[in-house]
Order: sequence, then C-alpha cells, then structure tokens
Amino acid sequence: MSSEAETLRKKLVELLSWERRKRREQILVTLFCYALLAALLTLPFHGFLQTVISRWFIPISFFGLMAPFFLGRGRWRSSDSARALARVDKTLRLDERALTAWELLERNETRAAALMVLKQAGEKLTNLDPKALFRRSWRWQAYCALPLLLLWLGLLWFDVGLRFDSDLQLSAPKTVAQKLREFSRELQEKAKNEGLHESFRMGRELEQVAQKGIDAKTGDEKFKADLAGMQKKIATMGKSAAEQQSAAESQQDLRDLKAELEAARDLLNIADAAKGAQELGKQWLDQLATLPQLKKQFEREGQAGQSLSQNDLKSFLDKLEKQATGELDRRTLLDAQQFLEQLMKQGQGEKGESDVRMAGQGERDSPDDGERTNNRSNLPGKEPGKREAESPSLPEFQPGAAAHVKGLLGEGNSSGLVLKAKPSAGKSEVSQDEVIASYRRQAEVELNTERVPEALKETIKNYFLSLGIGEGVK
Amino acid sequence: MEAVAEIEARMQRARRSFDDLKAEMARMIVGHEDLIEQVFIALVCGGHCLLEGVPGLGKTLMVRSLGEILSLSFSRIQFTPDLMPADITGTNVLTDDPSGRKIFEFQRGPVFAHIVLADEINRATPKTQSALLEAMQEQSVTVGGKAHRLENPFMVLATQNPIEMEGTYPLPEAQVDRFFFKLLLQYPTREELARIADFTTAGPPAALREVLDTADILQMRQWVRDVPLADIVKDYAVRLVLSTHPQRERSNEAAPLAQKFVLYGSSPRGLQSVILAAKARALLAGRPNVSFEDIRQMVPPSLRHRLILNLEADAEGIGAEKILSEVVERVSEVS
Repeated sequence: MSSEAETLRKKLVELLSWERRKRREQILVTLFCYALLAALLTLPFHGFLQTVISRWFIPISFFGLMAPFFLGRGRWRSSDSARALARVDKTLRLDERALTAWELLERNETRAAALMVLKQAGEKLTNLDPKALFRRSWRWQAYCALPLLLLWLGLLWFDVGLRFDSDLQLSAPKTVAQKLREFSRELQEKAKNEGLHESFRMGRELEQVAQKGIDAKTGDEKFKADLAGMQKKIATMGKSAAEQQSAAESQQDLRDLKAELEAARDLLNIADAAKGAQELGKQWLDQLATLPQLKKQFEREGQAGQSLSQNDLKSFLDKLEKQATGELDRRTLLDAQQFLEQLMKQGQGEKGESDVRMAGQGERDSPDDGERTNNRSNLPGKEPGKREAESPSLPEFQPGAAAHVKGLLGEGNSSGLVLKAKPSAGKSEVSQDEVIASYRRQAEVELNTERVPEALKETIKNYFLSLGIGEGVK
Repeated sequence: MEAVAEIEARMQRARRSFDDLKAEMARMIVGHEDLIEQVFIALVCGGHCLLEGVPGLGKTLMVRSLGEILSLSFSRIQFTPDLMPADITGTNVLTDDPSGRKIFEFQRGPVFAHIVLADEINRATPKTQSALLEAMQEQSVTVGGKAHRLENPFMVLATQNPIEMEGTYPLPEAQVDRFFFKLLLQYPTREELARIADFTTAGPPAALREVLDTADILQMRQWVRDVPLADIVKDYAVRLVLSTHPQRERSNEAAPLAQKFVLYGSSPRGLQSVILAAKARALLAGRPNVSFEDIRQMVPPSLRHRLILNLEADAEGIGAEKILSEVVERVSEVS
C-alpha cells in the first residue's frame, strides 16, 4: 500500500476514533443524568434502605445498573462508522469519496479506479482536523446533568431525604441515635416550658451528639461508646444542681410551689401599686392560707406568723423559686441520666427498648425518692397520694347510646385517657352543652377541694362563665 | 501511479465528451437536458429506452441528432398494426448470385442500425413487438434458422403516446422490464417554446459535429463498469428497490404508498439498472466513485416502469412517480 493510502487510513482512523470518543462521552453523560434523575425520583424510598448504605452511593448504583443497557445500546457498530464517514462526505461535499475510500482500504483494493478514489479522498482529507470540524454537540441530558448534580448535593446537604425517610419508616426500628435525638427534643421542650436552664442546655448538647451520630450513620455500639462521656457530664451537672436542693418532697409539689409562687408574686405586684404596707401584710397572711405549698415553706422557715416587709417577701419568694427551679433541674437531669443508662443497656431484646421508653417518660414524673408509685400517666388528673377513691371511673359504653366522658382539668403536664371502645360512624350524639355542663359539674366538685389553689379558683370560674353556662359555678 | 493517471485522463475524457455532446445537442434540441443525459447514460450502459410523451415534442429529432453526433447509424420504424416482424428484422429474398444461380439472400431490416427509433411501439401487434424485444435482449435476430448479429453498440429508443390508447397493444410487463430506462418527455416551457420557434423558423439548422465514435462508446461502456461502488451505497440502492415491494410490509421496509398501491415491486433488473446508471452518471460527472445522489437520481427512470400498480392506484390517480418519490424520501442513506 502506498504511503498516501496509509496516510489516508490514519486520518480516517483518527476521525472515527474521535467520533467514538464523542459517543462514549455522550453515553456517560446521559447515564450520569439518568442516574441522578433516578436517584431523585426514588428519594422518597431511600428510607427503606439500610442505614449503613450511604445515600452517596445511590446515583452510583443506578449508574452501574443502567450502564450495561446504555453501553450495549450505544456500542459502536460498522454502520456507525459508515454514518460518520457519510457525515464527513456531506460536510466536505466529497460525494461519498471518504466512505468509498474507507471500504476500498478495508478491502485492500489495488485497481486503478480504486486508487483514484483513494487519491482524491486523500487530497481532501489530509489536512482535515476532525476535532475542529466535528465539535462536540451535547444533548439535553448534558445540560441537565450539572443542575441535577447540584440539586442532589443540595438535598444531601439539607438532609431532605432523611427527614422524609424518618416519616416513612415508622415501623422500622429506631437506632440509638434516633431515640436519643427524640428524647433530647422532648427534654428541651420540657426544660423550656419550666425554665430549667441546665436541662435545656443538656438537651441541646444531647441533640447535637445524636444528630452527629445520625449523619455519620454511626453503628449503635460505637454510638453508645460516644455516649459514655455525655453520661458522666450529666452526672456532674446533676451533682452541682443538688447543692441547691429544695426541701419539697415530690416533683408535683415543686410544680405546685412554682405555681403558687407565681400567684403570690402577682399579688405582691397588685398590692405594691394599690395599697399600703400594713394592708399588704394583712392581705398577705390571708392569701397565704390559700397557698398550701407556700405556706408549708413559710412554716419550715419559721416565718409564717411574722409580718414581713414587701422587700423581704420578694427576696424570700425569689429564694424559694430559685430552690424549686434548681431542684426540678436536678431531677430532670437525673431522669436524663437514667434514660442514658437504659439506652446504653439497649440491644438486649425488645424488653430493653421498652425500658428505655419507660425511663424516658414515666420515670420523669416520679419523685426520686420512690415514694410515689402512681404517676400521672396511669392516673390522669389526680394529685399524688390524695383522694384516690374519688377518681372518676370510666363510663360504661352502650352500643348505640350516647357516650358521656368526664374529665378533670389539671395544671401542669397533660394527662391521657385511653378509651377502648368501638367507635361508631357518624356525628357525635353528645351535644356541646351537655359536655360543658358535665365539665362544669366536675369543676364545681374540684373547686370545693384544696387541690385547686385559691389564686386559680377565680380563673377557673371565669373560664366557665366565659363559656356562657357557668352560672352554677360558685 | 501510471494507472491512476490513466484513470484520471479517462474520466476527464468522458466528462469532456459528454459536455461536447450536450453542447452539440443544444444546438438542435431546445431543453430536455436531463433527457439527453439519461439517453446517453443508457447508451453507455448498453440499455434501451422507452420514451413516453405526446407527439411533437422532438423525440425523433433528438434520436436522429444523437445518432449524427455519435456518428452512429440510425433507423426509424413507424409501428403500425399491420407491421410484420420481418419488416423489422429483415427477410431472405430470392436473388441471383454472380454465376446466375438463384439463392436466398438475407435482406437486413431497419433493426440493423446502431440506434433504432421504434415510433409508437404500442401500435404494432404483440408478435411484431416481441420480434423487436427479442432483438433488444439477444442483440441478434434469427431469420431462416440463421442468427444475425446486430450492430454494436445497439440501442432501441421506443416511443409511446400516453393519450391515444385506443387501438393499441400495450406492452406486456415482462417486455417493458427489458427497457433500461423509461423517460418522460415534458412539454417545453414558455422560454423553450420561444427558442424552438427561433430554431425552426429561421435559417436551416447547422450541421452537427461528430463528438464520439463507436469505439469511444464501447470503451466508455467498459469504464462505467470499473467505477467503484461502496457497499454502503450499494446497500442503499438495494433498500430503495426493496421499499417498492409491498410484500416487505412485515419487515417494515416498504413505503406506505407502495404497500397500498403497488401490486408488484421492481424486479432485480431494476436494481441492476439503478446501479449501472449511477456508475455512468458518476463517470460522466468526472467522479471516480458512485455517490448516494447518483443512486437517488437514477431511481425514477430505472424503476418507474417496473412498478406494477393496482387498480386502486389507477382509481386514485397515483402514479409510479409519487410512490418512488416517497420511497426516496423515506429510505435513509445508511441503515
């Protein structure tokens, strides 16, 4: 073969190689785009995957799954070479000289007519630069790939999929980190409501640790090891809070005390603006009788019968409040500590898990000295240790008959009442007036007891009066 | 290198000859450039043409002029219903030899010429038509048990009038298939008509110059067959021919119009005709190889008379031209 023919062959091979390369790039970009699209479309289902599988690998997995199909479909065939050469002929107006020359070279034709074709094709193609003549042209997939990649990274960064996942996989067992995060959020909420600074701070720290564990997909055992440090820290904080321990006996007492302190402070503010010091002392002693927990504290301090100045009273109330808050903080931290201990023991079966929930919820309401066994969860609306016999019994439900459910309004944590009855379809047959009347009667009973602080009785009366049929509440 | 130079010279000569032919023809014939090119292509391919057009469009003049320019012998046969085969082929007549003995001597008919114009071929009886068609196919006639070779090159240009069909004997499909091309003569345009008036009503026409001789044409016939054809281009021609077949419906290769209106598609002769004509076109254009465009251009004259249309096509006025146009449009160059 002549050198001209060899040069032409090299040129044609170069051109076809360039076309093949463009095809490969196009396939890869298309694959990449479709893999990202598939990953985005299946985002809601990522929660069903095991947590150890990183979401980073999802597009790569789709890429790998689709690659054989795309690469097989887009593989370079002889007709593709023919098409590429036909395009050269069209572009350079060679009247199929390049195409014919390629075939003649393949066949090693040596006829004079064939050599003539090779000569003419060589003259036209020698100076051809395939990369300049046939530049890359991208399809829509190429233009979509980068925005899709950015979208995917953004979703990963903001954890959009994971939050959605957590909603979906309700039945899936939670990891230790997820449980801790849930507990820490509840802890923060509670601490915020009750003004417990240390507990709130600890709640935040626990949430950060839990979030870090969730993000890093840390295994339960490794996460427990990380938690050991936090447990020690909580124990230290609990001890420091204990130095300001109050003499109150139960957590409920402490909460009542705080409510009474609030009411007493309101009283002081009103008196401060309207009345003189003598009148204040007299009124204070009268009101003190209606605030049992506060009275108890006064008696304990030996100041119940003394006539205190307004400033003394204020400083005394501040001191009491500080003590009550400190004690609540300490007990909350102790609850957290217990929760963490239970969490560390998790992994020994379903029982461990239920224990954790108990430690996180039920025990938070129980006093640390173990005096009270019934808590607000299993005895809604009841004061601990008092008037057990008067607790409202569940009404008997008759099929088709109107159901009357009596409840008690209590201050502080909410109560729950589990009704195990078959619901009947349709509207309720109990009218609103009947329900309000029922509540009103219950309130009348409760107002006659000591369980409702005097300062709040007026508020309760006003509430029923505002409902319009509270005439019976005296 | 010498061989390449020789091929280059050959191509240049072919192109120059064709350009000269066109120039000479233009002195006598107004318009019909495509027709002249196609007739010349058929000549260098060794084929025959069926010309279809109304009377007075210059068919006879064109054929006669072609004969003069190519320095080829020319004869014209006016086909009539009473024309006998012997009137075409010739016959043995009783004559005296130099010694005075009575002998049969073969008297050559008009078919013994390089270019034969069979005017209104469909007016003769099938028997007479087949005598000519046999001569076209075999390039020889047999009279009295003796075969007589026809001239080489030999080309028949048969004409048909598409309007006056009464009292005619339409050519059987098998015989039409033997024509290399079927060419349609179009009515001249306004400018062409004006030029025709000038040419024919002014002074006597100038004498035509001989451009090619018999040897040149035979040599060109050989050159045509040497033109390289890429397999991809050949495949394109094959797919075009296959697309005229309604039987290809299952493989989805047939054009929709072909599926609906064609009874039988082109014969293999159609493919031979397309490829050979494309080669000739490339040679006359001075190109060393066949292009897709060559194939496309040669499809209508090569295939239009090879499609057998059904009655539905006749009823709806669908002609072979329309079907072939769709075929060319639909079939991609590279499969």
